[in-house]
Amino acid sequence: MDTALFLLVDGLTNGLVYALLALSLVLTFTVTRVVNIAQGEYVMLGALTLADLLQGRFPGSVYLLVGGLALCVVLDARRWRSDWKGALLFAAGMLLAAVGAVALAKGALALQLPVVAMMLVALLLVAPIGVLIYRFTVHPIPDASTIVFVIISVGVSMSVQGLGLLIWGASPYPVDPVASGGTLLGPVFVPYQSFVILVVALASMGGLYLFSEYTLVGKALQASAMNRLGAQFCGIPVAKAGGLAFLLAAAFSAISGMLLAPLITANYEMGFMVGLKGFVGGAMGGLIDYPFALLGVMMVGGLETTSAYLASAYRDVLVFGLLIPTLLWRNARQRAEAR
Amino acid sequence: MKNVLALVIAALALPGFAFAADKPELRIGSVVAMTGPASALGLPAKNAIDLLQERLANDASLPFTVKFITYDDASDPTKAVNSVRKLVTEDRAHVVICCSTTPASMAILDVVTQAKVPNISLALGQSVIEPVKERYWIFKTPSTDQLQIAVLVDDMIKQGSKKVAFLGLEDSFGEGGWVAMQSVAKAKGVEIVAAERFARTDTNFTPQALKVRQASPGAVYIHAIPPSSALVQQALRRVGYTGPIYHSGGSANSAFLSIGKKDVDGALLGTTPVLVYTDLAGNNPLKPVIADFAALYEKRFNVPKVDIFPGQAWDAGNIALKAAAEAAKGGAKPDDVDAFRAALRDKIEATKEFVGVGGIFNYTPSDHLGLDARSTFIAVVKNDEFRLYDAK
Repeated sequence: MDTALFLLVDGLTNGLVYALLALSLVLTFTVTRVVNIAQGEYVMLGALTLADLLQGRFPGSVYLLVGGLALCVVLDARRWRSDWKGALLFAAGMLLAAVGAVALAKGALALQLPVVAMMLVALLLVAPIGVLIYRFTVHPIPDASTIVFVIISVGVSMSVQGLGLLIWGASPYPVDPVASGGTLLGPVFVPYQSFVILVVALASMGGLYLFSEYTLVGKALQASAMNRLGAQFCGIPVAKAGGLAFLLAAAFSAISGMLLAPLITANYEMGFMVGLKGFVGGAMGGLIDYPFALLGVMMVGGLETTSAYLASAYRDVLVFGLLIPTLLWRNARQRAEAR
Repeated sequence: MKNVLALVIAALALPGFAFAADKPELRIGSVVAMTGPASALGLPAKNAIDLLQERLANDASLPFTVKFITYDDASDPTKAVNSVRKLVTEDRAHVVICCSTTPASMAILDVVTQAKVPNISLALGQSVIEPVKERYWIFKTPSTDQLQIAVLVDDMIKQGSKKVAFLGLEDSFGEGGWVAMQSVAKAKGVEIVAAERFARTDTNFTPQALKVRQASPGAVYIHAIPPSSALVQQALRRVGYTGPIYHSGGSANSAFLSIGKKDVDGALLGTTPVLVYTDLAGNNPLKPVIADFAALYEKRFNVPKVDIFPGQAWDAGNIALKAAAEAAKGGAKPDDVDAFRAALRDKIEATKEFVGVGGIFNYTPSDHLGLDARSTFIAVVKNDEFRLYDAK
């Protein structure tokens, strides 16, 4: 009986962490048609940035951010000839953003903010990296096929992981939880961090829902997701919508990393696996259906803990094996609908 | 004026030149992983070799001058093979120290065996030196999983438990531990009541911990590296396991302490003497040797505390030097490369009671590891520190 409770609590906690990933994946895919294999790397960036901030080191992700902004200016170089005023303005804006990021990091370190505020700072530093990656890899080729985007995102994943290893090294960093300790629920010891994960994950999902239903920008995002061409005809800047989707997706994944880090420490290779498991869950909904994606990740979380208990050597085999019947089922359903 | 200067230079250079020409040259080649994923092992090894080279620069007591040739294999077995081939054929090294990792050390076996060059490996894996018949030219200095697990299992038995649960990583490191654990358990009559696996990137270790607790073992052995090893111990404590927890030498580092915090207090680890040498009894022959090396290394490279890796290369270099000196004494000429390599190998195999940093080495024709239980210790975590554990 305790066993079932333990597994339930852990399955739920893991499922919620993957849920944020699945949300990011669905959001990115619907708006830009990018199956983002690199989504898990934001988990790593979020976790390591938070670890740096909490332990008083200058966060390494600022180097990534500033480097990316500089690269933006370089890519904009051709504009100087035709429209030097616009280009100058753009370069100044990028410089301002870079200075802002450095100032934010330094300020947060100097003030020694509490954990929750540090999470916000880390979020502000990591989420824009999503936009930069969109600018470098998706923006130049908006009409490329899905398979091209998949291959690109694999490359992005490898590069970001390599940069992570370069910046942070291979050693794992312990991260303080938002609330340390835990409580006994019946026979089961549940860390407070699990409750924090529950609350933050639900709040993020609710926030996304409200944003896309009740704000103009959110509705524009939905419109570009439903029909790209139609949205463009209605005057929605689809390219900007893509950037926004990458921004939000990076933010959700970074949050997931910051929630996960106190449980398993932060290290450069933590993201990829989490990303893949979020992907398996998201595939339940064909990467377009939010409720099904949530159902999928909960199944992944539950199956993972159960199989780790019953046959630990095969748990990843079982989780990724879930993908095959899922895809068969989706395929069959799609055919039925088409008929 | 010019002439005078030339004369002075000639006068200064001549004795030096004559001195160098008097003695033959001994060439020690080494290939370590200075870059890549294994650089945490390879860089300290390179530092130790550099240190040895600096020490020998002013040493006139040896019957030869020593030339060190060091290459980087970038943690890549293919590069290791190429570098060793270069050492053997172009540089004509008399002895090779290679490599930092088990895969690389396995990859170069054929090269050194065919060229008939003695090799001292710095890798952990037992398969590097066994079966000894096929590994005629290969020796190694680091301790093995088998040796450490045997010492830990002895302690488990002494504490009165005959049932052990195994928790290990599911990569090659964990597999090595699992194989070693099975053979040790069989030899010592200990029952393995549970065997669970996990990966470094897992997000949850509680299910495996639950399964282990329900098998009610007398002791748990965790074969992993941090963060997993510390997180698994936390999970075991969370599900209410209160018995003793043993770890492999892979956890004997500061990351284990900083991640595990209070939860790893009392954890027992199999380790080499370097980690706990300050706690050794004053009459232990290892203590002064390690203390000297630690002082040298810490001063030269400005590190707070020496870890286990530089000592392995330091021992390898010193064993090779000692064997070379004895080979030369026995009449072998370093200039006759092939004959000297064979003589050097025989002298390494004849090493007796050599007190190194990693332990006391006794190589024999049937044992190319050379270490025994005298060189393996159990450390216990006490107040965020590794201390020597003395079993009662």
